[in-house]
Amino acid sequence: MKHLLLTVPAAVLLAAPLSAHHSFAAEYDGMQPVTVSGTVAKIEWTNPHIHFFVDVKSDDGAVKQWKFEGYPPNMLVRQGWKRDVTLKVGDTVTVFGWRARFDPNLGAAREVTFADGHKLNAGPPAGTGGQ
Amino acid sequence: MRARRSIITCALLLAASASLSPRIFAQRGPAAATKPKPIPRAVDGKPDLSGIWITGALALIVGDEEAKAIAQADVAAGRKPLVREPPPYKPEAEAKRQYYLSRRGIDDPMARCFISGVPRITTRPLPFQIVQMRGQVIILYEAHHAFRIIPTDGRPHPDDIEPSFNGDSVAHWEGDTLVVDVTGFNEKTWLAGVGTIHSDKLHVTERYMRDTYDTILYDVVMEDPDVFTRPWHEHEIFRLRPNERLREYECIENNEDLQRFEKLLEIDPALKK
Repeated sequence: MKHLLLTVPAAVLLAAPLSAHHSFAAEYDGMQPVTVSGTVAKIEWTNPHIHFFVDVKSDDGAVKQWKFEGYPPNMLVRQGWKRDVTLKVGDTVTVFGWRARFDPNLGAAREVTFADGHKLNAGPPAGTGGQ
Repeated sequence: MRARRSIITCALLLAASASLSPRIFAQRGPAAATKPKPIPRAVDGKPDLSGIWITGALALIVGDEEAKAIAQADVAAGRKPLVREPPPYKPEAEAKRQYYLSRRGIDDPMARCFISGVPRITTRPLPFQIVQMRGQVIILYEAHHAFRIIPTDGRPHPDDIEPSFNGDSVAHWEGDTLVVDVTGFNEKTWLAGVGTIHSDKLHVTERYMRDTYDTILYDVVMEDPDVFTRPWHEHEIFRLRPNERLREYECIENNEDLQRFEKLLEIDPALKK
């Protein structure tokens, strides 16, 4: 249900020019939402996108590392993020986003929920790439 | 004697301030609070466009909540939603656009960190700063460290223009509207989204009109006899961000897109056209 609610505004935005660095649809599938929880293993605070890596433990105890792409640092700081403060290695997070088309453990992050329950946008809504 | 005169003076001042106070408070009351700020003017009397502005997909810059508040304020102010028309392409150009759309934008020059070109650079979800000076207007874009120096002193385009991503700009005032004429483009940019190609015959006319203290109405006309059947119009509203500052955006720092596109081309038959 959460995914459904989050994808509705994304659909509304399709008509607007997103003009992000690259088209969302080129690399990600807006029909494949994903939510994972785990421990932050590494952060690349870089342009044109940040990346952060999350170790996710499955039911059988195996750990898979997910890589998520987000906004560039300039856009994150304008939305309340602080480098080395908001997201740190070792933090427990839940990430909602969409799966990449070519890598089973890569995603476009939309929202991060932190250990204390607060949430922040981490990346743009899903789009078609038509803009 | 001096002390008595001081007391009288003080009494008179108090009485005067008491009689003035209601008027002063009245000026600061609700009526004054809703009075719009005047549009700033330069020494030559023209509207001063200086400031840091944002436009395009506001939610990507200011977050969902503030973008929603801006949209609600627009409705309250009677602003009509911007209507976007599709590019009026000739059949061959439209076929090319459809081809680029079918490839989901992997051919986008912007994904290669090229300067976005005019007018697309304006709608990037990053702010830009207009610096209006005597005889010229300078626009500094956070995206790609791009800048435009736009003479407003009546000079024509130079006769030795090298084709470039942002072209060559000169401007003049028509009343309170700054009209910018842009030519001398290369063919390496898209105009407003995936597949919005153009030729080196592209001619862009931008109009900047500061309609309120907080907003500029931006109207742009794109003409290109090689790809369009008629001029293509686009509109935007620029929003003033007085507490903003431009930051650095070095797109090429860690751009993984080209390697990813190679992978996609290997595995996705839809892209192999």
